[in-house]
Amino acid sequence: MQIDIDSLETYNALARDGAQSAAASLSQLTGIDTHVEVTNVSLMTPSDLEFEYVGGEFSGVRIELGDALDGETLLTFDEEARDVIAETLAPDGTERLQESSIKEVGNIMTSGFIDGWADHLETTIDISPPTFLSGSGTDVLAASAAAEDEQVFVFRSRVESAAEAIDFHILFVPERDSLIEALGPTGEESISFEKLEVFNEMTKHGAEQAAENITTMTGLETDVEVNRMSFVPIDDVPAAVGDRRYIGTVMEFTGKPSGYLVILFDHPSAEAIVDALVPMETDGNWSEMEQSAVKELGNIMTSGFIDGWANVLESSIDHSPPEFVSDMGSSIMSPIVGRMARTQEHAFLLDSMIRTDDDGTFHCEILALPDESELREVLQDLLVERADRTHVDPSEVF
Amino acid sequence: MDVLIADDSEFMRSLLREILEGEYEIVDEAENGVEAIELYNEYDPDLVMMDIVMPIRDGIEATDEITDTDPNAKVIMCTSVGQEQKMKSAIQAGAEGYITKPFQKPSVLDEIENVVAG
Repeated sequence: MQIDIDSLETYNALARDGAQSAAASLSQLTGIDTHVEVTNVSLMTPSDLEFEYVGGEFSGVRIELGDALDGETLLTFDEEARDVIAETLAPDGTERLQESSIKEVGNIMTSGFIDGWADHLETTIDISPPTFLSGSGTDVLAASAAAEDEQVFVFRSRVESAAEAIDFHILFVPERDSLIEALGPTGEESISFEKLEVFNEMTKHGAEQAAENITTMTGLETDVEVNRMSFVPIDDVPAAVGDRRYIGTVMEFTGKPSGYLVILFDHPSAEAIVDALVPMETDGNWSEMEQSAVKELGNIMTSGFIDGWANVLESSIDHSPPEFVSDMGSSIMSPIVGRMARTQEHAFLLDSMIRTDDDGTFHCEILALPDESELREVLQDLLVERADRTHVDPSEVF
Repeated sequence: MDVLIADDSEFMRSLLREILEGEYEIVDEAENGVEAIELYNEYDPDLVMMDIVMPIRDGIEATDEITDTDPNAKVIMCTSVGQEQKMKSAIQAGAEGYITKPFQKPSVLDEIENVVAG
């Protein structure tokens, strides 16, 4: 089964247009101006998808699609957004009326989202009546994705409002075969779906190795919570990372593929790491020794992450010494994106999230941005049967 | 036995020093490959613990130059890099041992013992 990456660019643009149409519908219905913050298409497992809805209460609608494109869409509002919309459309209404208003808003917005796809395919996409959703985690997880064990393509859009507490997500989870058929005939540059899946698995293995390295060095029991490979317009990368403040490291890697690897810790996690690594009183001002400890951890995590690629591909990937960074996520990513945007319009963003097993208070994000055309070549050359050769014991070589 | 540590990370140099002190004599520390070559020529240590990813000149290039000048030099790569091709490059450059970070004290001491024993 082959995937044409160029088609993904088109479909990503369609998803963005659809999200803008949905946002416009919301503005028309409620008078609240919204804008599409980010749209991308990700390859992920259902459990990674579940993470989208962990940690908060959501309300929205699920609509099933059929005919030219099978699958489903989920349009979800967080609690604040739900309250603002319900109060705007049904002030003083009963709970049932307010629920109905959310359902109808979701229905209208989803229709706007899907129409562009149908027009592009010059066909019709049937949509089911909306089902009201409320809850978190698996309560609002895409039903078809939850039932499957295979990786799925997910089109994700995040829409925000500057003036009101409106923040909603549109997830479109097409059935795999249906999407691939819709993507149309593939050219010589196409990549097998299996290779994309395998590369995503290799990346997850790299993230697991990086998590293990954190545990070995700091004693913090960590695990990979989310791993996904997204295809995103390069200019959207800073917004995808968001404005949360981080401490971390940036490394450039060269070889095939070349690119950048960014490791971000939220402030409490960075402080926990330094407390574990530097056996002296720290004042929170990031002394040279503290920065050195963060950089060395970043260095070791980077190797854990990219060595597997090099070993499977039987190549060598070098990386620069780490650069210490302390800033908002979007500001850390902007200069990298500026450099990469000279040669590419879209990027593969490999995003892994590492957390502590018990309470989830530790938060680390690994973001890899390989050169897009080089990654395409790597995927072409990837031997699926070597996919498990990520680790090499030096004693086997020496 | 005299040991030279070459690593760009102050943190890692302090960690290695902590592990090796008491067992070996640390003659000095280098922050990059060029310094490692200079300090090797100055001290003629019995062993070099050499990082790979370093600024100015990497550890494999430095090892190559050190073993070219002194074929009896003993170098252990002490690195986060776990790539097979890099391990082969390290062997070609003349390294006799390879430790991947993160490491524990026993694995460092064992590898030193192996390399010193030849």
